[in-house]
Amino acid sequence: MSPRREIIVPAVHAPDTASSFGQAVSTVVRGGDFLFVRGLTAIDPQSGERVRGTTASETRQILTHLKQLLEAAGSSLEKVVKVNVWLHSMLEAPNMNEVYARFFSDPPPARTVCGARLPDGVKVIIECTALA
Amino acid sequence: MTEKLPRSVVEPKNPRLNVSRGANLPHVPGIRVGDYIFLSGMGPIDPRTGERNHGPIAEQIRTTLSNMRHMLESADSSLERVVRVHVVLADISDMAEMDRVYREFFPVDPPARTAWSMQLRFGNGCEIECVALAN
Repeated sequence: MSPRREIIVPAVHAPDTASSFGQAVSTVVRGGDFLFVRGLTAIDPQSGERVRGTTASETRQILTHLKQLLEAAGSSLEKVVKVNVWLHSMLEAPNMNEVYARFFSDPPPARTVCGARLPDGVKVIIECTALA
Repeated sequence: MTEKLPRSVVEPKNPRLNVSRGANLPHVPGIRVGDYIFLSGMGPIDPRTGERNHGPIAEQIRTTLSNMRHMLESADSSLERVVRVHVVLADISDMAEMDRVYREFFPVDPPARTAWSMQLRFGNGCEIECVALAN
């Protein structure tokens, strides 16, 4: 039997120039035993509007959102196996880490962090793969 | 989970798209393991010549995603089975144009996607990789 593919959380329909906010990207996709979460950027959970902040505050917004998304899908931060973090500057890595460490209990998931140019002036993007 | 999951190489039916093998690079186009297919990052290669296509970014994205479709279909999967995509652009200002073309390939229930920009080799404007479910 072929493994199930299911859109758990569909695209965000907020008007925004950011490609990650368009309709061509699902937010949480289940494939077999795993959940794949798109690269999240900081948004206000109430309004869905973009939030501009510091690396620390954007990290906090994103991980709070990620926690909600995973729990709504029946998973949790404890079930995350791999995280990818993109930062606008690697000099900000300690500021991200300080917040990040508070969200994951020991042992935290595997993770890669890299510096890159990010769309629309965001400072942080975080994506993950978790067990469903 | 003591039994070993079968692991096999995914290769394109069109040998001109087997870039890593052609260039003697130390990676394969993709790996299937269990129910999952992991494709290597793909650049804009003209499927008729095997040469890089450095036209406008829209064309590069279209070429790359067409080749990704071919790669997945060669492995008995399809774009509809993709769960996660990474899009890397050489130029961050190509984001909107990338998204416009990308939608043609994923019109309904698109995969999770992350897109960013960093340096790419060979003057490529894009590199795209994905994880898909096997059929």
